[in-house]
Parts: sequence; structure tokens; C-alpha cells
Amino acid sequence: MAVSGTTNPLLLALIATAMLVVVMLRRSDAPWARSVRAYLMLALFVIGMRVFFRIVLGGSQGETVLFALPSIPLPAWAAGIQLGGAVTAEALTSTLYEAFRLAVMLLCVGAANALANPRQALRSVPAALYEASVAVVIALSVTPQLIESAQRVRRARRLRGDSTTSLRAMASLAMPVLADAIDRSMALAAGMESRGFARTRGLPVRGTLPMMLASSAAATMGVFLLLSTDYLLVAGWLLVGGLVGVALGLRAAGARLRVTTYRPAPWRPVETLVAASGLLAATVVLGLGWLDPDLLAPAVAALLDPLALTPATDPLEWPRITVPMLLVVALVLAPLPLTRPRRVRAIASTRNDTRVRLLRAEPPEPEPTWR
Amino acid sequence: MKGNARLSLAVGAALLCGAVAFGWPLILRPESGLRPELAPMVFAVVLPVVLAIVLSEVAGGRLDARSLAMLGVLAAVGTILRPLSAGTAGFELVFFLLILAGRVFGAGFGFALGAVTLFTSALITSGVGPWLPYQMLAAGFVGLFAGLLPRAEGRAEVWLLAGYGMVSAFAYGWAMDFAFWPFGVGNDTSISFDPALGPWQNLHRFALYNLATSMGWNLGRAFTNALLIALVAPSLLRLLRRSARRAEFAQAVDHTVG
Amino acid sequence: MAVITFDRVSVTYPGASRPTLDEVSFTLPEGDLCVVIGPTGSGKSTLLGAINGLVPHFTGGALRGQVLVHSRDTARHRPRDLADVVGYVGQDPLRGFVTDTVEDEIAYGMEQLGIAPPAMRKRVEETLDLMGIADLRRRGLMELSGGQQQRVAIAAVLAAQPHVLVLDEPTSALDPTAAQDVLSAIGTLVHDVGLTVVLAEHRLERVMQAADSMIWLPGDGRVVHGEPAAVLAVANLSPPLAELARVVGWSEVPLSVRTARRRAQAEGLVPAPPEPAGVPQAPVVLAARTLEVHYGNLKAVDRVDLDLAAGTVTTLLGRNGAGKSSLLWALQGALSCGGTIDVRGKDPRRLSAAEARRLVTLVPQTASDLLYLPSVGAECDQADRESDAEPGTTAGLLRGIGVDVPPDRDPHDLSEGQRLALVLAIQLAARPPVLLLDEPTRGLDYLAKAQLRGIVRKLAGDGMAVLISTHDVEFAAATSVRTVLMADGELIADGPTADVLTSSPAYAPQLAKVFAPARVMTADELVRGPA
Repeated sequence: MAVSGTTNPLLLALIATAMLVVVMLRRSDAPWARSVRAYLMLALFVIGMRVFFRIVLGGSQGETVLFALPSIPLPAWAAGIQLGGAVTAEALTSTLYEAFRLAVMLLCVGAANALANPRQALRSVPAALYEASVAVVIALSVTPQLIESAQRVRRARRLRGDSTTSLRAMASLAMPVLADAIDRSMALAAGMESRGFARTRGLPVRGTLPMMLASSAAATMGVFLLLSTDYLLVAGWLLVGGLVGVALGLRAAGARLRVTTYRPAPWRPVETLVAASGLLAATVVLGLGWLDPDLLAPAVAALLDPLALTPATDPLEWPRITVPMLLVVALVLAPLPLTRPRRVRAIASTRNDTRVRLLRAEPPEPEPTWR
Repeated sequence: MKGNARLSLAVGAALLCGAVAFGWPLILRPESGLRPELAPMVFAVVLPVVLAIVLSEVAGGRLDARSLAMLGVLAAVGTILRPLSAGTAGFELVFFLLILAGRVFGAGFGFALGAVTLFTSALITSGVGPWLPYQMLAAGFVGLFAGLLPRAEGRAEVWLLAGYGMVSAFAYGWAMDFAFWPFGVGNDTSISFDPALGPWQNLHRFALYNLATSMGWNLGRAFTNALLIALVAPSLLRLLRRSARRAEFAQAVDHTVG
Repeated sequence: MAVITFDRVSVTYPGASRPTLDEVSFTLPEGDLCVVIGPTGSGKSTLLGAINGLVPHFTGGALRGQVLVHSRDTARHRPRDLADVVGYVGQDPLRGFVTDTVEDEIAYGMEQLGIAPPAMRKRVEETLDLMGIADLRRRGLMELSGGQQQRVAIAAVLAAQPHVLVLDEPTSALDPTAAQDVLSAIGTLVHDVGLTVVLAEHRLERVMQAADSMIWLPGDGRVVHGEPAAVLAVANLSPPLAELARVVGWSEVPLSVRTARRRAQAEGLVPAPPEPAGVPQAPVVLAARTLEVHYGNLKAVDRVDLDLAAGTVTTLLGRNGAGKSSLLWALQGALSCGGTIDVRGKDPRRLSAAEARRLVTLVPQTASDLLYLPSVGAECDQADRESDAEPGTTAGLLRGIGVDVPPDRDPHDLSEGQRLALVLAIQLAARPPVLLLDEPTRGLDYLAKAQLRGIVRKLAGDGMAVLISTHDVEFAAATSVRTVLMADGELIADGPTADVLTSSPAYAPQLAKVFAPARVMTADELVRGPA
């Protein structure tokens, strides 16, 4: 969120590096944590795409012309679109700034993925969503089993001399795996049923649904107003009120479920601090963005220098670093001293007689990245 | 309030919110201080709430262990299928499973399957981001409407489902592109979103943007969807229906116990 | 006090022509360990499912009569309502796991019952200790060995503190040591905790002596319930000690090796020792030298030298994790491995899958993975095409094996033994000189195992070299002439079956233990001595 308030590339670069450092040192070893690289790729791709479009479709604001593409006239229905034409440095830089910001936002999402543990969050789901969370837990547990089953079937097919990888072969692989999946679901359901699943579930409390619907309508209205008007206050209150209403409704709806949680995850003070540092960083940036420099005393203005957050591109000027920016970067790095690295436990599997991989004259199949 | 009425109301609320969420470029005015990139973020907070309402109606107390296990396992299959689909955000394989399962098991199950599959695959492969609630809602609707399709038998059913597959592929692609328009192109090109313009001009611009970027993908996806459904539907429908029948038998016995 | 009562119970599944259980009545007193035996498809799973209400509430079907468990009528209680009275562990524990760590799995049942977190915590610890898995607490379920998974599954249902424990084939997939661990844990539960345990099992050798009563299902819907020795005398199942009793003429089947041995010595039974049979000399068909298979840092097969001779049946024994499967797959040429493999002058690793299949063929652990067509006939035709054989070869092979099924039958509707035979026929269509079988006896009852024995002997008689990896020592004793032991990736013994098996108590067949030091492998080798 902090990133969205600024387009200063230096600050963005610093934030990005800080995030990556935190991720490298603190990430858990779960599958979703390994996709940071994928996010980097995606981020670069986005930057590239944005620049491409800007060049091709109208990048001629400003004065410093870098180069010029031939201008291609378009038919009338596409009027208003400009293909080609001069490309200016201002246009390119402004696009680069925007694209960079988006890229860093994506990286932040990736970092959040790497550091968070959604499984823990699944345990603290409101009781009304208990069944849905059970479905998710089942899906998460069954996925690696199904993959192993699919690999096994593929190995077995090769034993029959069937080494085609065509679409038909894949389809003929898919059906037994699917049939196996359905059988598995039956066995799983029998197990769950035998162990008392849904034993203590009563009916949802009356009156919760209308309340939740009304609250969600209020929230939708709030967002609508937020988008289309400037009645910020009304919109804000509607939105917040709606969200709170739904949350209360969900809590009440689940009241009849007497399923307890083994070892509910406590929210430790460390976690509060980490969350606070992130929130603080966001506030600093957004707050500075709203400040009007003319209202502040000149000394304070020089120190805070809110305009540096969005370096102008027309006319072009070099971006600057200011003190508040450094503060923001420090806040991003804050989780490092506050948390301990999660030690990766290497567990030797004892079932190595079934981990038979097929490594024939073709390149080895990529090891699935989930366990 | 009867079960089906409750579910319909919840779905209606979700549709309303979804319309606003996906159609925000038509609503955003420059008077609001909101920058275009932030709009989806705001929804990223509201949408999960709406999703939660519908999911709690669909799943809460209405799905027993068998259906939940089936839901979880099919979501696992979808999760595995998703990275196999061609394309960076390929959904073809997931969609066809979603449509067929929604057809066999009903609209509520279809919605839940869409949401759970997308969520699980985000946890395992692509990661959680502000786009996830959008995807969950959209996939949920694909499954939901698949369950609401009119009755048909045999070949007619396969054609119906294949046609729905094509339509839903386009609808999904357009909806997601529309909601995340500014992320694709930025703010200052001539095919970008501009709050100062009216809704028609923005639509015009969007059409051009879509043509330039994702039309090829959407077309490809739609055709692959339709093809897959046409090829695989008969056997898969048979398989799914057989297990649904087995569950019904047991259900009938269960209800006599009360 | 009777804790389980079946009162004229009949169960008929929808679409079945006759009832699976027909007017079944028996009672089980508290604290009994009851073993349910019977051939595949005789209704054991139905009987077990009826105890906790899965039949009929979950599986469908019509149940007449009354089943009372701890004074609760299963007709009026769903399985979830009986969860605090009956704990049910199904056949494949991995498929029944809902979570993915050991601790969460054990806590799951208690969560469903709404027990308070402090009490849950205490019970989890107690259950972990009881089953001896306390050090596995945070492990992922998929990484555990089969025996550990089985114990976790039992612990998970124990956490709800039921009165009855129902287990469906708990040791079928386990090696002898792991099976022993599970059975002794069950014994502790019966004797120290006072649970009533009902378990279904194919391989009776280990569990016979611990059983307090036995229920035999002949397959026609009725049950025979009584003391183990008496039931075994009438049942047509043949664990080795029952075979011994039959051959020697005892009216009561000895339930343990010790009982048999004492009785044999008391009666002065002296077996006529068979001639020491060496391994017959025959031309070597497959020669492997210094085979090595690595998975990352792990060495699954460590410089193994192995020769397979035509017309001989060799068994490969070893505990789970010793590398048996890896060795078999490596011999087929499907794995990258170091060393040399020579089958009639060619290296199967360098050949394509179709060609390698003509030299060395493998039937994997889950044989049904190879089947994907909707009918037996379609599978046979496909196999003919794949092996470039005359149409009808595979079907002929199938008939030659002795399995006669109509070609339009769905392979999923066949019994385990029939499916295995079908896969065998498919793999043999290419007429390879070497056949490898990976754990074919898993899940087979005695009859099916005897049939497999006959098939393998016939194939060997035709000149094929057969290598079978198995846990079943009795099967090895009866079928093979040569045995190879594997541990930690290395071959630690290689010689005539009689020598290798009798050299260690862990691998000796029961009759060898009864008549030690005379080397008796199977009941067929016994001749009644002078009284």
C-alpha cells in the first residue's frame, strides 16, 4: 500500500530491495513461498508491456523527442487512437515510473505470499465458513496425493510400451486419475463421517442472513459512492459499516457450530509490531502525498518534501531522496530484527522405495515443488 | 426462510456487488479522489466479504461429508489442472471441470467449487493477490450458471455445455480484463481508461484494448474449452453422475432415519 | 457384557441379486479381539461397516435386523453419532486422512466432538504415547512409512476414546516388522486399555494367536463365529498351521508356533527332511552388475550384482525402504542407473519402452494402473497391438492363466486376483524372457495366492525367468527356488530358498519354526512319521 503512493523510482527501488532482503531471510519453505522469482518475471513483463504500448500508442507528451515512429492513420471507428508518432523522453519516463510502481506492488504481493502462512489463517476462519475451509484443507492435502497417483499411472503406462505424450495419451491418463480421485473422496468422506464430522452443527441462527445482505448492500453502495462521487465521508462510513455488519453476521451465523480448534494460533505481540511497522510505512507515504507543501513552515517543508514522492516528468527532472523516504525503507526492514528465521527442517522420507522416478533418455521430469 | 430462497438472495447480493466490482471503470468519476489503480484494491476488501456470505450459505449446513469430500477432491483436481493449461493465466482445463461438475451437482456446488479451486490453486501455485477475490467470484459464477442451465440430454447436452463453455470463457476473460484494465496498459495511452471520459468512450477504448491484447487468447481459450467439453463430457458426466447416484442412495436411507 | 450384538442382520445392496449378509447373529463380549476372515468379496467390509453404521447410512443398501453397539441401535444413529463409541479405520489410511500433520490428524476427531482445547491437548499426548509415535508428532502424513501411517490412523480414532475399534485389513500393505508393531499396539489396546477390537485380515499367521474369537464368512451370507481353533478347523482358508493340522490329522488347529511345536514334539512327529535342493543350473538370461540407483543423496540401490536364470523363480525379500522396487524398475530399464544390465546381449535402458518390454517386463505394485480401457476385451486387443502380437494372443494367455471372464466386463469390476491376472496377460503378450513382479500378493487371499503360485510355476516351466518381490514369506517359501535378501540397497543374501529363509527367524516360514532344525518349508513337504 505504501508503494502506491509514490512514483519515485529510487524510493521504489530501495523498497523493492528491502522487501527482497526480508523475504530471503524470513521466508517459509512452503510452495507458495517459492514463487517470488515468478513474481519478478511477471513484474519485468509488465514493465515491458507498458513501455511497448506507450511507444506504439501515443507517447508524445512533452518536449524532448527521443525518436519517432512512422505515424499510421487508422480507420474512423478507431478514431482517437494514435499509432506511432514521436516518442518523447517525458512520456517514456512517466510510463517507466508507473510501470515500476506496479512492478514493485507485484513484488510486494509476492513477498507477502512468501512470508505469510495461509494455513494458519485457515484455522481462524469464522465458524460460518467452517465447511468451506474444510473443503480447502481437503483440497490442499489431496493435491500432492493426486499428483503422485498421476505420476504412478504415467510410469505404469510406459511399462505397456506406451510412450506417446499426445493429447490422447493425456486424456487416457486423466480418466483413471479422476476415477481414483472420486474413489478417494468417498473413502475420505467415510473416514470423516466415522469420526464425527458435522455432528455438532445446528442450523444457522435466524435473522443473520437479512442482516448480512443488508450490510453487504450498504458496503456495495459505499464503494459505488466512493468511485463515482466525492462524498468521501458518507461513502467511507457506509463501507465500513457494511463490512462490520457482515462480519458480525458471519460470527453469529456460525454460533451453532460447536467445533473447537486444537491449538488456536495466538496473535503474539511480535506480530502486532510487524503489522504496525507495515501500517506505519503506508501511512507515512500516503500522508505525505496528501500534504500540501504550501501549508507547512518552510523548514518542515524542506525536510519532508512531499513533492519528491512524485517526481515530475514534464518538465523532466531528476528524482530525489528525502528523509521520510529513508524512514519508510527502515520500516519495511523492521520485521527483520523482530522475527526469527524459520528453520527449514529437512526430513528424510522413509518411503523411498516408492519414489521411483522415470529418467529415461528424455530430460528428467521436473520435481513437483510441493511436498 | 427456505434454503433455496436464502441462497438466491445471497447470490443476488453477490451479483450486485460483482457488477459494481467488475464494472467499476464505468462508474469511476474523476471527482472521487481515487486513482484508477486503487479501485480494484478497494474491491479486494469488499469482495471477500460477499464471497463469504455466499459460501456460508452454500456450504454451511447444506453440504455433508460426502459432498464436501467431493468438493475438496475436485478442487484438488482443478488445482493440478490449472498449471497444465496453456497460457499464463490459463483456465481452460479448470473451466471444463467446473462446468461439468456444476451441471451434475447443482448451482450451489458449482459456485463453491469455483471459489475453492481458485483459492487452493492460488495457495499452491500462483499466490494470493488483490486479483484473487475477483477470480474466485468470477469462477464461482461460471460454476453457478452451469448449474442453472436448462435440462438437456445426450448430444444436445454436450452441445449446450460446449456452447456455455465458449460463452463463459469470453465472459470471464472480458470481466477480468475490464476490472484490471489500468494494470495492463497504464494511464496515458490512447487505449487506457480515462475517468474524465464518459462510459461509452471508455467502452470504446476497452474494446480496442481488448482487441489489441487478449482477443487472441480469449478466442483460443473459448475454442479449447468447447473442444475439451465436446470430447470429454460424455464419459466424465457419466462418471460424476454415477457417484452422485451412489450418494443419493445412501442419502435416501439416511433420511428415513431422520 | 456384550458390547456388539448382531441380531438376524441381513444386508442387501441396491442392484445385488442376493444379500451380502443373510440373517447373521452373534454377540461379542467386551474386551475381545475378534478376527474376521473370509475370501475377498465375502462381505467382511460390509460386516465391519455395519458395526459403526456406515452400512447402511453411508453406503446405501437395505439393512434388516438389528445391530446394537454399546446399547445403541445403528439404525437410529448415524456414523457420526457413534463416533464416540466406535472407531473405524478403513483399508487405506492415507485416503482417510483429513489434515496433513500427525498432531492435527489426531486432534481432528476431538475437534468434531467439541472437546475443550486443554482436554484435547492432554488426550493427544496420551494417544501419541499409547501408539508409540510421540516422536512423529510434527511430521507430515505423506512422509511416513506404511506402518507409521497405520498407527497414526488408529491413534486418530482412539483420541475420541471409543469403546470399540474396527480395523479393515490393517496390515495388508506392511512388511512383517511394521505389521508386528501394529499388531502389538492393538494387543496393548485390548489387554491394557480394555478396548474391544474387531479386525479383518487376510494374512492370519500373525494374528491368529492373539485372537479371542474368530468370525468366518464363507461367502454365502452366513457367518461362523467361535473359538479360533474351532473356526479354523472348518474354514477353507489355509494358513500354514491350518495346513499342518490338516495334513497331520489334528482336529484342532494350533494357533501359534509354540503350541504346534510342543504338540509335534509330544506326538513325536519327525519330518522326513527333503533333499537339500540347490538352485538348478540354467542359462543366465539377465545379468546385472554393480547396479546403482541414486535419488539425490540417497542411494536406493548400492552396487548390486544379480543374475536371473531361465526357468527359475526367485523371490526378493526385504523391508520397506530397502530398495526392492527401485531395483526392479532399474532392471526393467526404466530408471537411470549406474552399472550394466545385459538381457540376451541388449541393455534395456537404451531401448525404447516398447522394445524393452519385449525383453524385461514388470508388473508394478498397483497393477490396475495399467488398465484404462472400459472392457477386458478392449484391453486384450490393445495389448496385442502394443506387443505386435497376433490378435487373440492376450486373450489366449488370460485363458491359459486360468481366468475366464467375459470380454465385455469392466476391469474395475473384477476381483483383485483377476485384475492381476489380466495385467499379467497384458504384460506377457510380448513373450519376454524375464518377468518382474512387484509385490503381487498384496491384498490377495489364500486362494488367489495359490492360483498365483500355480501361474508362476507354469511360466517358469515354460522357460521364463521370474523375479518376485514380496513380504509374504510363506508365499516365497512355496513358490521360489532361490531367494535374495535386500537391505539398505545391498543384497545381503542370495541362495536356495530353504537355506536363506531358515537362516533367520524373521524370515523363516512358520512350519520351519515348528519343526526346526529340520528344514520344512510348506505342508506339502510333510510326511507323517512314526507315532
